[in-house]
Amino acid sequence: MENRQVALITGCSTGIGFETALLLARKGHRVFATLRNPEKAGLLREAARGLDLEILPLDVDKPASVKKAVAAALQGAGRIDALVNNAGWGAFGAVEEFSDAEIRAQYETNVFGLVRVTREVLPLMRRQKRGRILHIGSLAGKMAFAGIGLYCSTKHAVEAATESLRLETRPFNIEVAVVEPGTIRTPFKTNRRIAKVFQEGRSAYRKPMENLLRFANHPSPSTPGPEKVAAVVWKALQSKRMAARYPVGADAVWLPFLRRLMPDSLFDRVLEARYARFQQLG
Amino acid sequence: MEPKTVALITGANSGFGLALSRALAREGLKVYATYRSPRKAGFLWELSRALPVYPILMDVKRESSVQRAVRQVLKREGRIDVLLNNAGFVMAGFWEDLSDKDVRDQFETNVFGLLRVTRAVLPSMRRRGTGKILNIGSIAAFAAVPGLGAYSATKSAVSALTEALRLEARPFGVDVAEVNPGEIKTAIVRNTRMGERVLSANSPYTPFTRQFEAFAKERFNHAAPVESLVKMVLKALSHSPMKRRYLVKPPDYATYFLRQFLPDSLWEWIVSRMFPWSRFPQRKF
Repeated sequence: MENRQVALITGCSTGIGFETALLLARKGHRVFATLRNPEKAGLLREAARGLDLEILPLDVDKPASVKKAVAAALQGAGRIDALVNNAGWGAFGAVEEFSDAEIRAQYETNVFGLVRVTREVLPLMRRQKRGRILHIGSLAGKMAFAGIGLYCSTKHAVEAATESLRLETRPFNIEVAVVEPGTIRTPFKTNRRIAKVFQEGRSAYRKPMENLLRFANHPSPSTPGPEKVAAVVWKALQSKRMAARYPVGADAVWLPFLRRLMPDSLFDRVLEARYARFQQLG
Repeated sequence: MEPKTVALITGANSGFGLALSRALAREGLKVYATYRSPRKAGFLWELSRALPVYPILMDVKRESSVQRAVRQVLKREGRIDVLLNNAGFVMAGFWEDLSDKDVRDQFETNVFGLLRVTRAVLPSMRRRGTGKILNIGSIAAFAAVPGLGAYSATKSAVSALTEALRLEARPFGVDVAEVNPGEIKTAIVRNTRMGERVLSANSPYTPFTRQFEAFAKERFNHAAPVESLVKMVLKALSHSPMKRRYLVKPPDYATYFLRQFLPDSLWEWIVSRMFPWSRFPQRKF
């Protein structure tokens, strides 16, 4: 009897995807760990030695690549019980200073790519009459910050997509939820693209952005690592019925809570004061 | 004599945009009202005969079109005091029924279009050290509804962009805020687009879509008149600085606060009472 759960995870070359793939495999899932660039599979292959973890190339930006990877997983395991939509990256810069191409690229991966993989897996899950889909969202999906407004907007879109999809797939016994990590020590830094205008030194927001970058590059030592997110993904997949949201880390719990308690004007004052400091620093 | 305030309103050939153009012009503003297609600009030209409303061609989906229109206004007036980012439409359909193109089209207008116009206007506002940008969002930004997921996602994105831009632009003297109307009687229902595969014979969501259509039609019979939104926009623009967010009608406040303070499970229970097709097939335990 084949009782093992089959999971498909996107964006597994580093960070949250990497740790989640390993954890689920260690817990006995059959894991299809996908990543955009097969050349970056070395670390994962090394770490997954002896585990039932198969690496597949999948670029969520490309419809053909999505189709191919899902078909390959289906052929290998016959079904997909859990989909973890993790692939994503962060655009850094002032909202005003992104070009059309930069904006489209950010959405292509973080939103359209996520929808694309989900759409490919849903018919299959409907046939199975069961399935779980976890989106890796962010604290940035609950509130927006200066300097990463565009990234925040993609994660807000993911929150809304989760909420609606969650209700749309219920009649088919498919559950959808979003995991919301706060600040996490991940190679997100390498997974970041800085607005070209800023890189070329033409930004009208140069000073605050420089200070924000410096701040973002030095997370505090107490910041949780990606394995904490992986543990929450595991917990969600094990629950009898998934909750709508799974915040990870103290900031992801407290900041939205504080924001709900405070009037908009007061909360704005706090964010403004914080941003004003970035305007003045060095 | 004090020079007139110059406003730019996008998507002004119908619905909110048209009503807002009329109202702001009556308030004594000089209104540049953009339309996407000359075929649809009839009402706007009519309006321009009686009031200081200047119809101007702009497709928010095209960078060159946006740049040209904004340049035109700046050349004539030397400034834009108020930008109302209103252009948008509703793409209806359950997520699985929406194609890549459907999703992209929805974001192209509602999000990327808004960013394009903002990007064209903001530098001139920064240089002058003053200006107001008001984005027309939706209550759907906080309460995602099954069958309107893509639309909700775009409006959530706008909400985030407003928040970030508000922080970034304030040091330059530019004030950014958002109005989040609920259901308002405008052409937005008539202008609703369906995804390519929505209501197709082999979609498992077709019965839900039918129910949803009937539900939406019924709801919109009780929708608020557009004047309520106009009033709120005028109020927002009269504030200095503006509040971050303006809601319009009491039911919208109710939705907003319930969404914030009810646990997700309870909220979803309410929604699934309203949308009976969004329930699990059977209790598992």
